[in-house]
Amino acid sequence: MKVILLSIIALGAAFAVLSIAVRRAQRRLPPIELAPGERLPTTPLQRLARWCLLLTLLPTLAAAAVVAYHGPRVWWDSDPVRLTATGLLLVALGVFAFYGVRIGIWTARDDGTLDERDRAILASAPAGQAPAMIVTLAAWMIGLIGAYPGAGAVPKVFLYLIFWSCLMMSVLALLAGVVIGYRRS
Amino acid sequence: MAKATIRNDIRRLRFEHGEMTQQALAERVGCTRQTIIMLEQGRYVPSLLLALQIAKVFGTTVEAIFTLEEAR
Repeated sequence: MKVILLSIIALGAAFAVLSIAVRRAQRRLPPIELAPGERLPTTPLQRLARWCLLLTLLPTLAAAAVVAYHGPRVWWDSDPVRLTATGLLLVALGVFAFYGVRIGIWTARDDGTLDERDRAILASAPAGQAPAMIVTLAAWMIGLIGAYPGAGAVPKVFLYLIFWSCLMMSVLALLAGVVIGYRRS
Repeated sequence: MAKATIRNDIRRLRFEHGEMTQQALAERVGCTRQTIIMLEQGRYVPSLLLALQIAKVFGTTVEAIFTLEEAR
């Protein structure tokens, strides 16, 4: 429980740092001038990334809540709990797969749905994946060292949780990279 | 080396070409309207390909639309 709490705090801190970095980047750019009442139109990729980020984040948070509520050991031993959490994570991965397929179709069609700016944002989106995974691993490392100081004492259930958390953080960071890319440019 | 920015006259050229809308220009050059807005406001620097396509739509040269402005 302490490990998961620490992970959530670390991820919250990472999100705060990211938000500050985005705001600072925005301040350096000239303001966007639009007609009164007009809103900046969104691009198809921007809308897709926003929805997929939301629909990936929600099941991931729900799965994390299930594991945090029952505890890692119950998650490991109880089939219903494990299947529920895994099912939620698979739903999130399914949404991500849809995102990938949609972009693949747009790229193959080359009909202007994705323009060069979209492609540049897509290319720069993975920049946040490595830091996100490092923060996730650091949170696990600090939490597990604190919770299990003895040599060889860390239960193997945490290996699965580390795998899932890194995978989902990688997916979320990629989608967030696209959403943030539009805010930064 | 002095920091330089690229300014453009896309907005003026649109109005000189029958008040062409941003959407119409976007469709003609194959990009999104958001990209045209970002271009006009100097928040995005286009590729040479897009710059040439915009110049072709307005029947002019890239140099006539885009100018390099060196910061002091």
